[in-house]
Amino acid sequence: MTINITFNGKAIQVEPGQTILQVARQNEVNIPTLCYHKDLSPTGNCRMCVVEVKNWRFLQAACVTQVTDGMEIETHNEKVTKSRKLSLQLMLANHPQDCLTCEASGECELQDLAYEYKIEAPGWGTKGTRYTVDSDPNPFIRVDMNRCILCRRCVQACAEIQVRNVWGVARRGIDEQIVAGADTTMLEAHCESCGQCVAYCPTGALSNKMSYGKGRRHQIKKVPTICTYCGVGCQFDFNVKNGRIIGVSSNPNSPVNGMALCVKGRYGWDFIYHPDRLKKPMVRQYLLDGKTKPTHYDPKCPDWGWVETDWEKALDITAKKLGQTIDSHGPNSVGVFTSAKCTNEENYLMNKFSRQVIGTNNIDHCARL
Amino acid sequence: MTNKTTRFKPIPQEILEKSVELSNSPEVLLELLSNLQALPESLSRDNITYAARLLNIPAHHAYGVTTFYSMLSTETRKNTLRICDGPVCWIKRASAEEKHTKNVVDLISDTVPSEWTVERSSCLGLCDRAPAILVNDDQAGPISIGETKNACQGWKGVPTDYSIPRPNEKRVMLANTDQIDPNDIHSAIKFGGYLGLQTALQLTPEEVIAIIEASGLQGRGGAGFPVGRKWKFVSQAQIFPKYIIANADESEPLIFKDRVLIDSNPHQLLEGMAIGGYACGASEAYIYIRGEYVSQAQRLKLAIKQAGELGWLGDNIQGSGFSFHIHVHLGAGAYICGEETALIESLEGKRGEPRLRPPYPPTFGFRGHPTAVNNVESFAAVPHIMKNGSDWWKSLSTYSVPGTKLYMILGHVRKPGIFEAPFGLTLRQIIDDYGGGLQDGSSFHFALTGGAAGTMVNSSMLDIPLDYSSSQKGIGLGAGAFLICDNRVSSVAFLRELLHFFAAESCGKCTPCRVGTWRAYNLLCQMADNEITEPDIDELKALSENMLLTSFCGLGQSVPISINSALANFASEFSASRKRD
Ligand SMILES: Cc1cc2nc3c(=O)[nH]c(=O)nc-3n(C[C@H](O)[C@H](O)[C@H](O)COP(=O)(O)O)c2cc1C
Ligand code: SF4
Ligand code: SF4
Ligand code: SF4
Ligand code: SF4
Ligand code: FES
Repeated sequence: MTINITFNGKAIQVEPGQTILQVARQNEVNIPTLCYHKDLSPTGNCRMCVVEVKNWRFLQAACVTQVTDGMEIETHNEKVTKSRKLSLQLMLANHPQDCLTCEASGECELQDLAYEYKIEAPGWGTKGTRYTVDSDPNPFIRVDMNRCILCRRCVQACAEIQVRNVWGVARRGIDEQIVAGADTTMLEAHCESCGQCVAYCPTGALSNKMSYGKGRRHQIKKVPTICTYCGVGCQFDFNVKNGRIIGVSSNPNSPVNGMALCVKGRYGWDFIYHPDRLKKPMVRQYLLDGKTKPTHYDPKCPDWGWVETDWEKALDITAKKLGQTIDSHGPNSVGVFTSAKCTNEENYLMNKFSRQVIGTNNIDHCARL
Repeated sequence: MTNKTTRFKPIPQEILEKSVELSNSPEVLLELLSNLQALPESLSRDNITYAARLLNIPAHHAYGVTTFYSMLSTETRKNTLRICDGPVCWIKRASAEEKHTKNVVDLISDTVPSEWTVERSSCLGLCDRAPAILVNDDQAGPISIGETKNACQGWKGVPTDYSIPRPNEKRVMLANTDQIDPNDIHSAIKFGGYLGLQTALQLTPEEVIAIIEASGLQGRGGAGFPVGRKWKFVSQAQIFPKYIIANADESEPLIFKDRVLIDSNPHQLLEGMAIGGYACGASEAYIYIRGEYVSQAQRLKLAIKQAGELGWLGDNIQGSGFSFHIHVHLGAGAYICGEETALIESLEGKRGEPRLRPPYPPTFGFRGHPTAVNNVESFAAVPHIMKNGSDWWKSLSTYSVPGTKLYMILGHVRKPGIFEAPFGLTLRQIIDDYGGGLQDGSSFHFALTGGAAGTMVNSSMLDIPLDYSSSQKGIGLGAGAFLICDNRVSSVAFLRELLHFFAAESCGKCTPCRVGTWRAYNLLCQMADNEITEPDIDELKALSENMLLTSFCGLGQSVPISINSALANFASEFSASRKRD
């Protein structure tokens, strides 16, 4: 069953039970939103998405109002636009006007709307001087509540997606503020630094500490990739500037994980450029020299030293040692432990290798999520 | 790193002791926090976190609640003096020549002993005792700034006496208050108490609803929604159990009728609720009473106990098979908790923020179950209608809206206070026939009608009959309050005071009200102290329009009523050419 509505002057048929916003998006009409996100339950508190419904006394928030038969909806008339503009001004009055140094610039929903609606920030207001900048010691998340527009997406992302319930709303009226726990640090409030709140924050109020200052939207290329840490296989984007990875951002189209990531996937990328990172295989000197293993471990003895070598050599040595072990102690003296960093195909081959080539069922995998 | 900062700490014994009488449901949070406030560290972050752990809720939830309600504080305090800065108290202090450069709270802080914390409060619901204060839990007034220190030594003043009707009054709910002892159920029964419930129990619930519908009783909370229709929705909903809630939050400036009703005859409220419960199919009920009405809450608890002892409440009332239990729940300082969905949230132990609607409380209310929320006065009228029939109720008035209601008259009239009368009165009648006329030497400047979220009217509206639809003519009845101001009161400064209230009480959920009330207040501060400019007025109009069109709830939507009426009716005073006061 469908119902008939008039949408911006056009008669259309739609499925009942949908919100005005859903109908608009299907019809490629762009109603601006700030507090709404499709992954989170709607709260209707920013009042950006208001539209006019004929014969209704008040404007209606499109994100939470369902279409009903016979509705006549205007999404961009003068009354609506005027009200959106004023609401944006109200948000910007207490907001720092310094996209210049804001991590979110270029992918900030507030900035985009202020630009689209050609807002001049009003002359009154606190202009973002109320809170300490970078107020939380969390090693990964940069908090600047001056930029917060109280949309509460962080509160919901933490509660509904990560289920940690770190962020909450404190005080009321103009003093309303987003706080972690009982106004403590995030970690004290049991944050696990997954960064979901950052991913859902429409502004620069929550941003990624490690990426701060390294590159913004217009300077980076987003390269989709799969997380190398575990078997879940989350997808995300590497943010690459001048060929160098400067951060990770959620890719909303990720089939497995959506916007969600864990702390390793989102913030555990600094190993890439770490000076201690192994990039070539290493073997002990005595193996390279074809000597037998010295009886005592002595870190100072050059025989024990690690030496960089090529794959050919390293694999040769490994194959030889494995062969010797199997010959002298039997196949069950060997166990195989594969890695979540391998692909499915690689893991399959390891399984074959273990059972058919080595001849043991001692095979397992590290993914335990 | 995480395990370092969140090392496990067992919940201290003193905290456990403060919670023994409570369940571990999150719904008791407000009560638990109020209890913890008495500890030496008061509501420190640690104590708030312990409270959260006890109830198995996130720490932010308990902290958010603590900081939402004005009567909860994270600071340690021994004694608290709350100074009402509602518009009626403001006028009283201003006209007693207590105009000072310093603000009232600072002035009073200077005079009282140091163990007293002095803070402002939005309207205390003591408008008939203005200037009023709250001394810890005790209501006191009227008291001047200079004498406030006496309140710390136990001075309270006396509550206003309404036992003698004014000429022209028609009393139903206030009848016999000179003879009823509010603390003794027998005296209430002597004057017909619980006869209405007895009548109802002999009828079917459908018949009870039919009588209430036929009576035309409209809700007295301000919007005038038909009581019978609301009960019908609840009775038809097919989710069980259902709940009855009496809204005794009464935090709107100018309104104090529910307090007077509870103080003069609490049984009438309990009886009305029980009839509502029988009609709707509910056996559990709550009275949500504002945190500043501690003595009224105690009076209600006593009345509930007495009614239970005589079998008028509790299990199997008078052998009818119908059971009804009423619980009293104290708020903790928040006007928005009068809005019914915010009230329900608060009752569930959350921040008092309004819910998305639909669904409305009759289908989705307390705990997600069908709930009838009605004003105290609405319930108080019910027993009389049950006892005497809907035709009698209609016969009380020759006006199109049946029955009587309570009116509050305040300000520069000779006899301020409360009275009961039918609908259809004009403002002129209210002032002259009930308020004793204007004070000597006063000439009418404006009246605020309805409540704080009401209309500011000039003398052109003195003769419009008032009911729930007269707001369309520009003068609202609201909850029935009328503040009369003479020429000493500036309309601009007065509107500033109203906006001060709204800005202090906005819950903060939605942008237009959170920032709009605050900006409008600041703008009006400027306008009252300086020349008014064209852009000031344009900005005020724009803010008002935006609040009206886009606010999330009735609070933000009703702020523009006072702003728009002030701008329309006092255009010359809100104009760039205005002379400074
Ligand atoms: C901001 C706001 C505050 C309110 N405060 C009260 C109140 O203190 N008491 C009350 O009975 N109703 C109050 N109401 C109205 C209630 O939401 C509700 O409509 C009323 O309790 C229903 O009762 P009634 O139908 O008996 O009038 C308030 C509404 C709003 C929007
Ligand atoms: S949060 Fe957005 S609007 Fe605000 S400074 Fe940053 S980029 Fe600009
Ligand atoms: S990082 Fe994750 S756990 Fe921490 S506050 Fe944000 S969403 Fe919650
Ligand atoms: S921190 Fe970001 S997501 Fe959270 S309320 Fe503020 S703007 Fe919204
Ligand atoms: S209008 Fe908005 S901010 Fe104001 S009280 Fe209602 S929900 Fe809260
Ligand atoms: S997007 Fe609809 S109210 Fe915020």
